[in-house]
This record gives sequence, C-alpha cells and structure tokens, in this order.
Amino acid sequence: MLFNTIDFAIFMPIVFLMYWFVFKKNIRNQNLFLLVVSYFFYACWDWRFLGLIFLSSLVDYLVGLSLAKTHENVKRKTLLITSLVVNLGVLGFFKYYNFFLESFQDAFSLFGRSLESSTLDILLPVGISFYTFQTLSYTIDVYRKRLEATNNILSFFAFVSFFPQLVAGPIERASNLLPQFERKRHFDYAKSVDGLRLILLGLFKKMVIADNCALAVNEIFTNYTEYNGSTLFFGAFFFAFQIYGDFSGYSDIAIGSARLLGFDLMQNFNSPYLSRNLGEFWRRWHISLSTWFRDYVYIPLGGNQVSKAKWVRNIFIVFLLSGFWHGANWTFIIWGLIHALFFLPLIFKNKQANFKGVADPNKLLPSLKTVFQIGSTFFIVLMAWVFFRAENLSHAFMYFEGMFSKSLFSFPTVSRGLVLFLLVYMIIEWLQRSKKHVLEIDFIPFKAFRIAVYYFVVFVIFYYAGDTQPFIYFQF
Amino acid sequence: MKKLLTHITLFLIPILLIWILAEVFYRTVPNTYSYKHEQISHHNDEVEVLVLGDSHTFYGINPEWLTLKTFNLSNVSQTIYFDKLLFEKHITHLSDLKYLILSVEYTTLSQEDNTQEDIWRKYFYSAQMELEVPIIKWYSPQRYSLALTRKFDKTWKSFQDYIRDGNLIGCDSRGWGNTYLSTMDSAEMQRISHFTAQKHEDGSMDFGLNSERIQEIIELCKARDIEVLLVNMPVFTGYLNRLNSEKLEKIDAACEAFERENPNVTRVNLLRDSRFEITDFQDPDHLNVHGAKKCSLLINDYLK
Repeated sequence: MLFNTIDFAIFMPIVFLMYWFVFKKNIRNQNLFLLVVSYFFYACWDWRFLGLIFLSSLVDYLVGLSLAKTHENVKRKTLLITSLVVNLGVLGFFKYYNFFLESFQDAFSLFGRSLESSTLDILLPVGISFYTFQTLSYTIDVYRKRLEATNNILSFFAFVSFFPQLVAGPIERASNLLPQFERKRHFDYAKSVDGLRLILLGLFKKMVIADNCALAVNEIFTNYTEYNGSTLFFGAFFFAFQIYGDFSGYSDIAIGSARLLGFDLMQNFNSPYLSRNLGEFWRRWHISLSTWFRDYVYIPLGGNQVSKAKWVRNIFIVFLLSGFWHGANWTFIIWGLIHALFFLPLIFKNKQANFKGVADPNKLLPSLKTVFQIGSTFFIVLMAWVFFRAENLSHAFMYFEGMFSKSLFSFPTVSRGLVLFLLVYMIIEWLQRSKKHVLEIDFIPFKAFRIAVYYFVVFVIFYYAGDTQPFIYFQF
Repeated sequence: MKKLLTHITLFLIPILLIWILAEVFYRTVPNTYSYKHEQISHHNDEVEVLVLGDSHTFYGINPEWLTLKTFNLSNVSQTIYFDKLLFEKHITHLSDLKYLILSVEYTTLSQEDNTQEDIWRKYFYSAQMELEVPIIKWYSPQRYSLALTRKFDKTWKSFQDYIRDGNLIGCDSRGWGNTYLSTMDSAEMQRISHFTAQKHEDGSMDFGLNSERIQEIIELCKARDIEVLLVNMPVFTGYLNRLNSEKLEKIDAACEAFERENPNVTRVNLLRDSRFEITDFQDPDHLNVHGAKKCSLLINDYLK
C-alpha cells in the first residue's frame, strides 16, 4: 500500500478513527490494533514476508529478555551475536547473496578460474533494511545497558512493525519509540494538525516534485548517449530532487501519520540541500540512518577520539557501509566512497563540528559565502548521485563522459518550467529554514490565508502530480 | 478530537464537492466507451465484420469503406486482454458475424496487463461497456468511482473538451475514430518517430500470454465459422526502422504461425506496404482519414 494512493487515503482515516474511538480506553488493545493493521499494511505488499518481520521481532524480543536476566559477559556476547547473525543473516541472504556470489565469480575469473554456482532468483522483502536496523538498535542498546529490555511482547512487536515507518523509515531507535508504545497516548490537537500538514507536504514532495522529476530522470539516464552534456547535468540535478522529494516525502508522511496516532518519530530530513559542507549534509540527510551508523558503528570504532589515521579509517568504514546498506551494487559503494573522500578535508580543517545552526540566521538573503558553500556542497552531492542512480559503474562513467564534454556548455533540452519550479521550491525552503518543515506557517496571522495555502498545495498536488512512481527507497 | 474532525470535514467539503461533480461528469457525459457500447448494442443483429485492436485499427479501419456491415470495436490502447473480453461478451449477440479483424501491432503480443496505459481504462470498460474485468479487484476504490481513476488535470482537460464539443465521443456511429484529419511534414514525422518507437519499446519478447489469448479468440471464431483476418497495420517507415528488428521478426513469425495452424485465419500484412505515403499518416504509427480509407479498401479485398 503506497502512501500516495487512494487505498492509503481510505486506510489511514479508518485506522485513525478506530484507534481513537474504539481502542482508546485500553493501551493493550490499542497496541494490538496497531500490530494487526501494521501487519495488514505490510501484507498488502507481500504477505509472504510477514514471517520475516515476525522472526526478527521474536528473536530480538527473546534476546532482549535473556540479556536482562544475565550478567555473564560471555553469555551476553553470545546473545548479541545470535541476534546479529539472525538479523544480518536474513538481510544478507535476501539483499546481498547474489552480489557476493557474482563478485566472487568475477574475482575468480580474473585469475583464470571459474566458480561453478548459479545466482538465485531472490525477491527483496520490502523494508527489510529498515526494520532489521530498528530491531538491532534495540538489542544493542539492551546489551550496552542503555535500555531496559521490555517484557511486553505486544509493545515490542508493534514497535518493530509500526506501519508508518515500517517499509522506509525513519529508522527509529528503540529508546525513542518503544517507550511510546508502553505509555498511554493522549490525543493532541496541535500535534495532529501538524501531522496533517506533514502528510500534505509529503504528498506534495512525492507526487509533484519526485514523480515529475522521475519522468525526466528516467528518460535522460536511459538514453544518456543521445543528450548533450548540459542535459545530462540537469538529469543529475533532477535526480537529486527526485530522490529528495521521494524519500523525504515518504518520511514526512510517515512522521505525520504517526503524529495522528500520538507518536513522535525522529526528523529524517532537514533541508539537506541547504547544507554548507558534507558534514552538515549528513546531519540533514537521512538523519535516522546517519545517526544509526554514528551510534552503532562510528562511535564504537572510536569515532574522532582516536588518532587521525584511525579517524579517517572510521569515516571510510561508515560511509562505505552506508553505501552498501543501500544495495548490493558497486555504484552504492562508490557513492559512499565519494562522500567519504570529500568528507576528509573537514577532518583536517576540523570544520566538521561547524554549521550546526541554520545558515545566515535572521537574514532574508544568503551571503555570497553561503551561496558558494551551499552551491559547492550541492555540486559534490549531485555528482555522487550519478553513481547512485546509474545501473552499474560503466553506466556512471559513460554518463560522466557525456556530461563533461564540450556540450556541457550547450543549451540543455529539459523542461525549463521544472527547473524553475525546483528553484522556487528551494527558495521557499531557504525562507523556512529555521522552521521544522516548509508548511509550518503559523507566522501567517490570518487563518484564512493559512487555509488558502493548504488549498493551494492540495490543488498543485491534484493538478501537477506526475505519473505515479514507486518509492525509490522501497528497493533498499 | 471533535474540533479536529470538524475542521477536517470543513476543509474537505470543497474537495468532496469537486469529486462528486467529476463523478457525475464521467457517469453522465457520453464518451467513446459508452457510445461504442450503445452503438454495438444497436447494430448487434446486422454486424458481419467486427474490428478489434488498439488505436491503429481504431483510427485506421473505417467501416464506411467496407462492403460488409462492419462495426469497429477497437479503442485507444486496447490490449488483447480487452479484445478478448469484448469479443466474449458480444459474440453471442452477433448472429450474422462472418469476419473478425484483429490487429497485431508491435506492442500487442508483449503487452502486460495493468500497465500505465490501461491502469485507468479498465475501469471505463467495466463501468461503461459493462465488461466483467477480472483484473479489477472488488476492493479497488476506482471500481466504485470513475473520478478516482484519472488525474485531476486529465479530468479538467476532458471537461474543457466537453465544453467545446458537447461530448467526449471520439468516433462515429460505426466505431471508427474520426478525429485524425491531418498529417505532418517529413522532418517532424522523423523526429516524432524516434520518441514513439522509444515509447513502444517495452523490452519484452515474451509473447506467451497474449498469443494464448489470440488463439482462444481464434478458437471461438472457429467454433462459429467466423473467419479471422490478422492484420498488421501500416506504419511510417521512419518509425518502423527504429523498432527492434529481432522483435519484429518474432512478431512476423508468430502471425505466420497463427495463419499456418488455423484454417480460419488469414494474415493481412500491411506493415511495410509501399502504397502508404507520408500524407496517409496522422503521426508515425497512426493513419489519418485518407490512410484509413486506403487501408479499409485494401482490407475489403479480403472480405468475400
């Protein structure tokens, strides 16, 4: 069930009304209801993989309980390893089996040997990378004694499968979301209204920005040999907005839907294309994943509290893993590598800690310096996106070859209207940069004006929505 | 909670009103689907030739130029899936039917069900041509609301067409698509050919399912002594040259096999027919009014 379909427009109000009217009195019933509708939501994709969510939930629930009962280090480690092996084993099989096999086959062929084994026709379960990381966060936190293990099986299962963020995040930390399942939720008008605004914004980002960009991106990336360099540049530019609109739109709808049910999910995007360096970009892009890697990989490796050589190593490990998390393809690894390489100067300049607030606060227009910083960061991100979008490495390199040719300075054959629209959207993001999201328009004094803005967004969604495209991050 | 529900309801009222208006619009204004359904019901007893297929036959075969009484039941983006459903629905009422003209185009055999092309059309077949369409699930909301099947900009465009023309019918009383009246110059035709060929390339060579459906139609005809003309409609050379030649050969072989294995099948291959000139085409793969006349007269030679 896609968020941008009529099915969800029917599903969500039914869930909302039943949740607050029928199951309101008893938290246990509310959680059971959420579990049932979440499993139903997932079954609409593919019921066959419900068993995997159940398995992942059961293993981590039991491991958590066992960790709470034992203080023996060896036993605790064994339990942690059990959880890691089961979760990462399932993830590895479904997502990476063929990749490793093909890579080994290629490696053997380099030495003139052939490896006799065939790839399997494996279907990737939707959202497996997201819920696997979410359940792992629980086990690791319990192992580290940063979180109490829950003995409430219903809460835990509902936490793992919570439908708004089940298939594409945000990847919630158990320490944030699980306690919300264990305490009574109260209906909050302001929170619900903000949830609705987020849903509206998410639909706009997905259906108008992402789906319209997708048409241009698919055409340009598929037939890149037929376009000049400047058009290829804009192909990458459109992809940058496609993936941003697609993924942050999904996150907005997820966060908004959760708010309607009384839950607070973490912010996943915060105007990433207004970042002034890559460090800031990663604090604003897919925040739930980057903080997951920070908390469970980067810091355990020593983070920046080690020698510079080890610090560099840690950075590379995190970015390569981040690339690999996205999919079993060398293009994602190179994408991560590019980010790691361009992150390095920040280490040596010690600027990674900078830019934690909004750019040029209290100013209407950005300074020239800010424009340069945002522009150069966006350019690096844009170039890396080419690898992310390409089918394989040779596709990416040939795309670059076409882009950085003499024709880069010729006139592009792209929709000027779309380019203008995206620029206007970025200006609005700039103006709203100190707000939590673009549609936080409480500063408009007249209610009628605010409602007019919402109607305008609804109109734009209905009138300018592109052909429905699947969410990009579902493949991860 | 009450406050929120009240505000949501008030906010949604104008949107619901627009939805209701759109629903009334689609349900009451005659369009090609409802009109074809109405007309074939009127001509049931006299139809001797039935034309099925997609836009190529819809615009390309004009019953006026056929000597036998003909009804053109083809439609834009009509797949073999719907050809079969329509044929099965109407066959019992078409007591005088002697010939079935079925088109096999570049996309016909490899076309998958439920693609972007027929994602909304299937609901119109169901609601306005009274077809039982198994690919529509009972829980699909669009089954119950035609306004939900199309994007708002398309609905608005249709509404503007209605204001201009008074209806949404794109065919005459014999089902022929009578709106393709112009042509293009050679350069434009070449340019469009490139994009059209690209659009039609689905990358599939899997003809299994649709070949099976065609065979089932042929069997139905065989049982009722109906001759089948399997037609490959003419297209502009520039377009043809841009198509995958391997796939074209495979389509050719499939059509030959149908003819060879079924005594009631005659193949009419006009794909590369040199009698068609650029002025006969509306665009690279559709005949205009002149081309339709030429094509219909050629096909007429196969009717006894």
